[in-house]
Amino acid sequence: MSLDYVKFTNGFEKFMPKEYRDMVEHGPFGKKVSVSQMGSFKEILEEHPMCAGCAMTLFIRLAMIAVPNPEDTIMVGTAGCGRLAISQAAIPFVYGNYGDQNGVASGLSRGLRLRFGDKPKDVVVMAGDGGTADIGFQQVLHSWFRKERFTTIMLDNEVYGNTGGQESGMTSRGAVLKMAPLGKKFEKMDMLQMAKVAGCAYVATVVPNNPRRVESVIKKAVLIAREVGSAYIQAYTSCNIEYAIPTDKVMEDAKNVENDRYQFTEYVSEEAKQYLAERYGYKEFLPKPAAPAAAIPNKA
Amino acid sequence: MYLVADINVEICAAKSCKLCTQYCPEANTIQYSEEMGKDKGFKYGSAYVAVDRCKGCAQCVWVCDNMAKNNAIKMIMIDQLPLAAITDNITYGDKSTTAVLVSPSV
Ligand SMILES: Cc1ncc(C[n+]2csc(CCOP(=O)(O)OP(=O)(O)O)c2C)c(N)n1
Ligand code: SF4
Ligand code: SF4
Ligand code: SF4
Repeated sequence: MSLDYVKFTNGFEKFMPKEYRDMVEHGPFGKKVSVSQMGSFKEILEEHPMCAGCAMTLFIRLAMIAVPNPEDTIMVGTAGCGRLAISQAAIPFVYGNYGDQNGVASGLSRGLRLRFGDKPKDVVVMAGDGGTADIGFQQVLHSWFRKERFTTIMLDNEVYGNTGGQESGMTSRGAVLKMAPLGKKFEKMDMLQMAKVAGCAYVATVVPNNPRRVESVIKKAVLIAREVGSAYIQAYTSCNIEYAIPTDKVMEDAKNVENDRYQFTEYVSEEAKQYLAERYGYKEFLPKPAAPAAAIPNKA
Repeated sequence: MYLVADINVEICAAKSCKLCTQYCPEANTIQYSEEMGKDKGFKYGSAYVAVDRCKGCAQCVWVCDNMAKNNAIKMIMIDQLPLAAITDNITYGDKSTTAVLVSPSV
């Protein structure tokens, strides 16, 4: 958990695979990289078995670029498609039982604080909508009520993708899926509102068809979770298999869903705004300069 | 046989917007070279595909056609590509990569 783990062990350099050498020599560790430089540095994410054209894959790719200190980050995940890629990256990945990710992350982030004190070590949970809003719901909500300082990212494909198309709490009402053939009878859960009620310091929605926004949202969330409190990002990451979206239309679908039910929203608590402005120079959160005092009417 | 994305250097280098590099779901698959296209007098470089990593989803085609409005990417059967970039022949520089093009079919 430092730049030391992205070095060659003495004498082993020439035996390491090319991808590993590229990662050490041209990876993002210890530098500031951004999505605008994609295609010119070695990414943290390697090859993995997620489906061709999967929007969740693109989101995970962007997230790995967006984390502010990859060398001081641990990702936590659970059963579901995302783990297939998150585990194939040069960021340590902790994988527990299905649904326990926010419990694991709570212990981990507390342990890291005890061990490393003020040195920032970031914990980022990425799990599916089933893992977050159904099976892991209780642990997710409790971690937020306890104001645990880590980031929770929901990879919302609105279905249990990894197990062949069961409805989740995040599936929209009426959606017909292979294992929900009569259509879902209930509304999509409002996890954003629940996150706010539970006291998250940062809550945002995002779609992967805006890579710069994905980057900026993840950076803010991780920085806020370092000191202020829980951060929650809900990302629409379509499943082109279970929703039969032709792979070359995945971004068109993302745009349509963005307009329909995934408009960009961002909630930042007052404390988090002040922290981002003072610590990290976020100009948009600087207090607005006080309006010039109204001229005192001349009584004369 | 299967399809992979192929970027026309001359069409891409005329615009060189790098959008496709940000939208391909696969990491380090659409790469960027500042040198490609320079020999043909273009000011900027070009994107290109590491075909061994391409899963053939054609999302980049949609992005180049509809967002960049440049129609520089086509899907091509891998054995129809005369020369292509593969990961083993790509080296990283400071702001760009260099690829030695080789025959993709064995
Ligand atoms: C305790 C337990 N129950 C069931 C499963 C089987 N299982 C694996 S992935 C999954 C569904 C994942 O759905 P979601 O969390 O929405 O993620 P997605 O695959 O859609 O990304 C299930 C039920 C499991 N691994 N562990
Ligand atoms: S099943 Fe769906 S969510 Fe899972 S990798 Fe395939 S397209 Fe992506
Ligand atoms: S989107 Fe098209 S024009 Fe833009 S970099 Fe990619 S291939 Fe070139
Ligand atoms: S076809 Fe898909 S995987 Fe291949 S380069 Fe284009 S976007 Fe990437």
